[in-house]
Amino acid sequence: MTKDLEHKFVAELEEHQNIIHKVCRTYTNNEAAHKDLFQEITIQLWRAYPKFRGESKFSTWMYRVSFNTAISLYRKSKRNINTSPIYDNLKELEYQKYDDEHDKQLDLLYKAIHSLNDIEKALALLYLEDKSYREISNTLGISEVNARVKMNRTKTKLKNILNP
Amino acid sequence: MVPLENLKNVWNKQEDCKYKFSKEEINKMIYQKSSSVVKWILIISILEFVLPYILLLFTDYDSSKDFYIKYDLTGIMKIYFIIHFIVILYFIYIFYKNYKNISVGNSVKELMKNIIKTRKTVKYYIYYNIGIAAVIGVNIFYKVFTSATFKETLPENTNLITLWAIALVLFTIVLLILWGIYRLIYGLLLKKLKVNYAELEKNE
Repeated sequence: MTKDLEHKFVAELEEHQNIIHKVCRTYTNNEAAHKDLFQEITIQLWRAYPKFRGESKFSTWMYRVSFNTAISLYRKSKRNINTSPIYDNLKELEYQKYDDEHDKQLDLLYKAIHSLNDIEKALALLYLEDKSYREISNTLGISEVNARVKMNRTKTKLKNILNP
Repeated sequence: MVPLENLKNVWNKQEDCKYKFSKEEINKMIYQKSSSVVKWILIISILEFVLPYILLLFTDYDSSKDFYIKYDLTGIMKIYFIIHFIVILYFIYIFYKNYKNISVGNSVKELMKNIIKTRKTVKYYIYYNIGIAAVIGVNIFYKVFTSATFKETLPENTNLITLWAIALVLFTIVLLILWGIYRLIYGLLLKKLKVNYAELEKNE
């Protein structure tokens, strides 16, 4: 039974892993930290999985757990310190990236998001994912009115960063 | 420059992340150890509940007993012990209840609230401990300083007020150090969380 649950969970997670990667890329800025946060989110999702009754979509639930982990639970591990070889890789990747205009824009967008605070990062990501105010208010646990106010501020901030 | 209207377009065209994991890798991950702040809060809180009693094991039971008998403190110490025991059980019960309420499936705000609440129980527990230590300490000082046995050992013309002042100042310093250590641990664990919670609370 547990093995069945494990298979089901791993399959669903593998399919939807892009959600976690987006959250990781939003909240971290190097490969080691990205992978570390991905792992912590996966552990938290697996622990909470038996309680997931499907009252919301799997992806919605994943966002919630991912944000909770990135914002509140995640404590940076010491493993992030030794990252010199990875930085070299990243530089190389960044080089290749600028060949492509779209990737360059995406990179700029993530850089802009990095300068937002933790809550604004979540708002920006939910905005870009085209989530309704109802879903945003449910995910963050704030009223819809407040979600709108906060979202407008985040968008203005993002605009100012991207168009100085 | 990226115009804001186009951001969603840029975002949606995002391809699979370059660190994509296989099923095998994900399977391995779920058996790794968590480094969650809740885990640390649980470990540190249990230490804070247990540590005073571990320290008690290293004190000399017989000499404290003799001390209590000598200064007629046995009765009052028993009362303190019973009160203390009931209060601690109550704290542990509340802590456990709050801890159980922490669920990563809650909304972001609710999760933060529950974590802060759990930690608050420990905060009150520490304040209570410092409080009761102060009460018992002053009680012991009073009993000792007013006892005939103690007065006999003092040189003539000793100013009792000075003695009280020195004792209280030293005792307060010890309590302040304990409080400081606690604040430091509390701050380290919850600083980020409190900032984010305040940010969410704004305009609510």
